[in-house]
Amino acid sequence: MVVAYNIYIFDRHCECIFYTEWNRLNSPLAADAETDRSSKDLVRGNQVLTGDGGSSRSSVDGQRPLVWPTTATSTAHRVSAESPRNVAMEEEAKLVYGVVYSTRNIINKLNSKDSPQGGNPGGFMSFATNTYRLHYYEAPTGVKFVLNTDVGATSMQPVLEMIYRNIYVEYVVKNPLFRVDPKTSTPIENDYFRAVLNNYIREISSAAVPAS
Amino acid sequence: MAKQYKAAGEEAWKNNVEKVNAELFIFTYGSLVVQLMRDYEDCAAVNAQLDKMGYNIGVRLADDILARTSLERCADLHATAEAVAKVGFKMFLNVVPTVVGWSADSREFSLQLDDNPLNDFCELPPRAVQDGLWYSNVLCGVVRGALEMLHMQTEVWFVRDVLRGDDASEIRVRLVRMLDEEVPAGDD
Repeated sequence: MVVAYNIYIFDRHCECIFYTEWNRLNSPLAADAETDRSSKDLVRGNQVLTGDGGSSRSSVDGQRPLVWPTTATSTAHRVSAESPRNVAMEEEAKLVYGVVYSTRNIINKLNSKDSPQGGNPGGFMSFATNTYRLHYYEAPTGVKFVLNTDVGATSMQPVLEMIYRNIYVEYVVKNPLFRVDPKTSTPIENDYFRAVLNNYIREISSAAVPAS
Repeated sequence: MAKQYKAAGEEAWKNNVEKVNAELFIFTYGSLVVQLMRDYEDCAAVNAQLDKMGYNIGVRLADDILARTSLERCADLHATAEAVAKVGFKMFLNVVPTVVGWSADSREFSLQLDDNPLNDFCELPPRAVQDGLWYSNVLCGVVRGALEMLHMQTEVWFVRDVLRGDDASEIRVRLVRMLDEEVPAGDD
């Protein structure tokens, strides 16, 4: 049984376009939501949006995990200088990207397969600490998926591939309202994407792991 | 290598792609071009618009192809050309153009379409032929957009078109340069 803690999705411009978490202690998101607003909706897990008044739209999947960034808070599209920025979250996303980017480059170099086009020819798949395991998947178009799970999970490559092929491509790439811009990054703000992703992760977490 | 792409393309076409009615697609595209002609009245502007629309389609298409097949990064332009022709075109249009016309430095090639499905039922008025309308210019944009998502900056243009009286349609692709992966911005 795999416990997934959180997932980051980075686009080809090195920006975090999606982050959500399921079982995380001391998250920079929850801390921000509590201190920022008193609205119960937000603590329960809606987006930190200015002027939205705690959206109470019907959610596709009940208890919604926290999600970041939103266009109100993303670095590329910030509406005004006073829009709330979750700096702690930004820093964390940058850190994670840096770790993953550097590790992947080291592995590529050691395999003599490094190239200025990037990609993952060295096959960096995951690393583990004594508390969690980080899984990495990169598509040839440059979109990167980082998933943290408990240490017991052996390989989440098929899971990440599934997420890329059947969830990201289906609900984000094929969404005409998701702007693919050669210069800027757009955060993923898509209820269906979030719902399907949450359901998939829930399935994964509760399915019995086949003996490998 | 070519065989593997051919097999991948056919398998993708058979299993992984939802199909729409060809006539519906062709007529929709035709009415789109007609509307653009009415709006712009200038063939060069219509060509540019079709290319832009194709580009927007192409940037999403790259991820779509990767999701449906298990293709890896192509080692060089030859492999890329084969993949575009045998997998890309096959999956979405069910035609396989031939890859011909390699330039001496292997940075340019042509896709020769003997049978372009978009041209069915279509006849260009003489004024459009004179003014230089490339009816299927959207395909150029698609190839350009898709290759850009795979870190290749290219120029893609039509050389010959059956609707203009030539014997076959030919799209020329030139690799301008390989794009480097973006590096995260340093701390200020």
